[in-house]
Amino acid sequence: MTTMAAPAPATLPTTGEYKTGIWSWLTTVDHKRIGILYLVTALFFFVWGGLEAAIIRAQLAGPNMGLVTAQQYNQLFTMHGTTMVFLVIMPLSSAFFNFLIPLQIGARDVAFPRLNAFSYWVFLAGGIVVTLPILFGMAPDGGWFGYAPLTTKAYSSGYNIDYWVLGLQILGVASLAAAFNFITTIINMRAPGMVLMRMPVFTWMSFVVQFLVILAFPVITAALVFLLFDRFFGTNFYTVAAGADPLLWQHLFWVFGHPEVYILILPAFGLVSEVLPTFSRKPLFGYPVIVYSGILIGALGFGVWAHHMFSVGMGPIADSVFSVTTMLIAIPTGVKILNWVSTMWGGQIRFTTSMMFAIALVAMFTVGGISGIMHSSAPADLQQTDSYFVVAHFHYVLVGGAVLGIMAGVYYYFPKLTGRMLDETLGKWHFWTFVIGTNLTFFPMHMSGLYGMPRRIYTYDAGQGWEMYNLLSSIGVIFQAIGMTIFFVNFIRSWKKGAIAGNNPWGAPTLEWAIPSPVPDYNFAHIPVVTSRYPLWDQKAGDLVKSEAETTTGGRLKTAAELGIPMPFPTILPLVAAVFMTAMLCGLLFIHAGNLPLALGIMITCGLGLAFTLIKWLTSPLE
Amino acid sequence: MATAAIAESHSHGEVSHHRTSTGLNHRKVAVWAFIGSECMLFVSLISTYLIYKGRSVVGPYPHENWTDPATGKVFKEILNIPVTSASTFVLLMSSLAMVLALAAVQNKDKPMPTGWWDRQLRSSKLWLWMTALLGTTFLGFQAYEFTSFVHEGLTIRTNLFGSSFFTLTGFHGAHVTVGVLWLLALLGIDYKRGLKPADALNVDIAALYWHFVDVVWIAIFTLIYLIK
Amino acid sequence: MTGTSRLRRSLGAATAALALAALAACGSDHPNSTFLHWTEFGRDIDFLWDRLLGWGTAVFVLVEAVLVYTIIRFRAKPDGPTPVQTHGNTTLEITWTIVPAVILVFIAVPTVRTVFKTQAKAPDSALQVEVIGHQWWWEFKYPQYGITTANELYLPVGRTVNFALKTKDVLHSFWIPNLGGKRDLISNRTNYLWFTPDSIGAAAMNGQCAEYCGDSHANMKFKVFTVAPADFESWAAHQKRPAVFGVAPAAPATPAVPVKSAARGAVAAAPAPADTAPPVGYAFPADQIKPFWWPKTPLPAGLAEIPDAVLAQGDAARGKDTYSRSACIGCHTITGNPMSMGVIGPNLTHFGSRHTLAAGLFPNDAKHLAMWIKNSRMMKPGVLMNTQGMNEMDPMMHQKVTTGGLTDAQVADVVAYLRALK
Repeated sequence: MTTMAAPAPATLPTTGEYKTGIWSWLTTVDHKRIGILYLVTALFFFVWGGLEAAIIRAQLAGPNMGLVTAQQYNQLFTMHGTTMVFLVIMPLSSAFFNFLIPLQIGARDVAFPRLNAFSYWVFLAGGIVVTLPILFGMAPDGGWFGYAPLTTKAYSSGYNIDYWVLGLQILGVASLAAAFNFITTIINMRAPGMVLMRMPVFTWMSFVVQFLVILAFPVITAALVFLLFDRFFGTNFYTVAAGADPLLWQHLFWVFGHPEVYILILPAFGLVSEVLPTFSRKPLFGYPVIVYSGILIGALGFGVWAHHMFSVGMGPIADSVFSVTTMLIAIPTGVKILNWVSTMWGGQIRFTTSMMFAIALVAMFTVGGISGIMHSSAPADLQQTDSYFVVAHFHYVLVGGAVLGIMAGVYYYFPKLTGRMLDETLGKWHFWTFVIGTNLTFFPMHMSGLYGMPRRIYTYDAGQGWEMYNLLSSIGVIFQAIGMTIFFVNFIRSWKKGAIAGNNPWGAPTLEWAIPSPVPDYNFAHIPVVTSRYPLWDQKAGDLVKSEAETTTGGRLKTAAELGIPMPFPTILPLVAAVFMTAMLCGLLFIHAGNLPLALGIMITCGLGLAFTLIKWLTSPLE
Repeated sequence: MATAAIAESHSHGEVSHHRTSTGLNHRKVAVWAFIGSECMLFVSLISTYLIYKGRSVVGPYPHENWTDPATGKVFKEILNIPVTSASTFVLLMSSLAMVLALAAVQNKDKPMPTGWWDRQLRSSKLWLWMTALLGTTFLGFQAYEFTSFVHEGLTIRTNLFGSSFFTLTGFHGAHVTVGVLWLLALLGIDYKRGLKPADALNVDIAALYWHFVDVVWIAIFTLIYLIK
Repeated sequence: MTGTSRLRRSLGAATAALALAALAACGSDHPNSTFLHWTEFGRDIDFLWDRLLGWGTAVFVLVEAVLVYTIIRFRAKPDGPTPVQTHGNTTLEITWTIVPAVILVFIAVPTVRTVFKTQAKAPDSALQVEVIGHQWWWEFKYPQYGITTANELYLPVGRTVNFALKTKDVLHSFWIPNLGGKRDLISNRTNYLWFTPDSIGAAAMNGQCAEYCGDSHANMKFKVFTVAPADFESWAAHQKRPAVFGVAPAAPATPAVPVKSAARGAVAAAPAPADTAPPVGYAFPADQIKPFWWPKTPLPAGLAEIPDAVLAQGDAARGKDTYSRSACIGCHTITGNPMSMGVIGPNLTHFGSRHTLAAGLFPNDAKHLAMWIKNSRMMKPGVLMNTQGMNEMDPMMHQKVTTGGLTDAQVADVVAYLRALK
């Protein structure tokens, strides 16, 4: 039985084929490299969205401050939300989907490697469309849930909302394409013996998330199509004078928006479910229940959307139904929390940075879960919704849940990603400053909210009893910023000169730890046969991987060619297709500018470009 | 995403050199997921139409006449159910032709039967053409319907009914158009090198999409045209 | 271990914060508290809140305590044995599925009961108030009294008030934290919200928009007064009369013209039987309003104040003429001034009786009013009312006001006129 970490070699294992030029990154179809692209891009946007948050908190540090104008503030909070949801947490999860799913199920790549690259480039293009305008003071300013009719041309005549609609539409394409890919990968590419109930919990939660994506994103696609048509073609979906009902947008948005919350949180739950067993040296307590509760959370997630709308006047029956369904979600969520605690119970807990982040998630998500129950009671929610209390709630869930879980994952998987360890001392500093900062920022918001402070106000008057809480929140941001700075220093330094990790530095039980770190391009020299949920704890190493003699030659790993493994060709086509598609959609902006011929010209040119690229893609061989 | 997924699925683009866990082809799994997603798109579009039904503040209306109070002009109920019934029938028949096209491809290497009718049944070109033509006919009906509505005073900007109707049926029409192009691409391959039973999967996936688009139309026809 | 002390510390901090919250809720440091029991609506919500907070705290303490105990007790020891590889425990897992479900019943039942109770139809005897949201101010109508006013809401103590909530433009949300929960204003719909301020005497409190509605969402506030029923009737009786112009003590009494205006006011007021009624009805006395309530919004930098000396020269009669020939009348109504019939902006009939201006953003004194008229768009971002001061830079049009602009002296006159509208 492998109880402890495998010894680390002196140098990084490599096939000697690793290409590093820019072109190799632009044309890559390797799921691991695409995962790294997602990770680095999302961390960049994390800094971007964090700076927006820092300006917001500086403006609110005291009453009646004038650091930014109302219009600038409205752009900042809109972009902070949009960035953190669509450009940080979702792609950070995508980084792990890409990197981990094939490794965890014993596959050599995802089902459609080129579509995978396409997803990334589309995501990047969408991210640029939605974030760049803030540099020109034209950022979207309708809030991240963009309630109509404020977002219609009658009330937002600038280009701001156009960028938001187009950007989100493009990002939706990226998420959907990726979801089809991962669903197929998980259904079809599991190694022999990797039955569904032996899959690692991260893969399970990812699987649930992909279904949420394919079922939830079309709904916001439709809602955005209506808004786009209204703004560019003069339709009436949200035109009040034509009798439109603004609640149409709210229902469509939240039918997407609530599952989106689980799209954000379930991958983090999955990561924590990997980290806790490893560092407790115990199997996950109640694996089937954790899996079923994840599925149940996902399914119930489609039946609770209107709890975001208790104040719109839906009537007592709808309010009661949505109150009760929302409370029901607490049950599988609570079960997960208690099962995680039980996983640690009786274990040998090692306080690595990764484990500390995982434990902090359990502690802090509990707070967010409890305040969530407080919102579920419709009449009580009338005092909470659209106040800072709700801001506190979803930050406990998204920072205390999703971000901490992802951080646990980053510290845990960095060795697999790079072959090197993140520094544990810096890691602990990062942990303490960030977790203290997070609590200091978001706990006082419960207070300011319950004492009547509405959200999304660019300033507030003195003497309202909110000064102290706001000041504390703003000070907390300083701690968070210090923590993240330490993290980035650690991340960059360790990538270059961290300690060599070896295959399995943590003594972890799942398949991805059986192979070299960093992972060779073909992942598995031979496809393992799985007989246990924790193969590295329960199975003999020789059953899983071939002997060193068979996989190495002359002190290096064998190449794919030497092992006789066909690899997909790198190709620029996904990137070209993504650029054409984005440019085609952005041609619509010239309709707003009143230049129809130019708009049509761009859209037709780029449409033809896209068509030719796809034909080329269709007809060129994969490998 | 539709085109990209189809493109990838159509291009032998999957890592297919070893067995799959389920025995199903990757492309088929992906297309089923894609269709599940498309269902939610059409559910959203149809729901919007139904939510906005009867809320338009000005006509023309789908099922009642409307007199413009300003001009006194009378606008007739605009939906033409007999014509649309015909186009629905055409689209249904196209699904039948699609089934025959797939069967023809699957049976390519079986010995050719002697009867004239049986031989026609084995012509993949004939049935692919038939499907594409019936699909195009449906699109022709839709073009006729759209232009006549515009002549009668209903555009996508007129009222909530116009906005939600044209968007919904327009999206469906766009899906049929994609399907027709897909069929033409298959025909291109058929003329170039002949479709073999090994290509049956490609035809099968196209058929899956085609039937889905057809089923969506049945829902639209029932909910939008038949129910008043 | 380090993990332990962190948790212990955060637990301590949480407890301290909760205690602080409980203390503070009773004090007056939180003038916009949502924990007050001034209406039955507020009490119903607070009853639920107490249950939510109680159960929530119990669950929080239990879970965190078990977590802390676990990570202390089971921290890795050198040469510790490989732990027993348990995979689960069905009895335990069923227990912690059922226990939360039972707890939730204790929350769900009162929740549903309260939902139906608070959303029942308001009693017919209720005071009807129509609330119309505008970017970014509030219009209040009392249909039973024929009153239209703006941004300041008078409610009689002890009488149920039923708000009919509508919006002229985008979505807004009507929220008086002291009196109960919020309700959104939705285009093409009318929402209702009712409660009875029955456990509070005369008080002045804050209300505000709670649904993001564009540029000046933060500045869309309103002021609420709960007053004795007799005072309310006095206020209402006066509000439905045309402005009493020139009678108010604050108006500088210049002879000739004001007499004419006063006469007009008197004619309109004549049908009212109460000859003994004071010429100006009840208004919430400024000296009974607590400091927190008064807006402290700073004046925008770069906007020159009109000197007090100039303001002192303001003449209400001249101001009326200037007002009646200016752009003001296109948007504002002053009942009693036949020129002023606009309905886009707030009704100014009794503007002088209000304590604040620009939707609770500034105190309604001569200085602020003058600057507001001069350059409202610098005072409140995005506001529809355009800049009126001669040679002032309009920050939305990006150009200086020339034709039709008001000089400082003219602004002072208009200020005198508007402040005289008691």
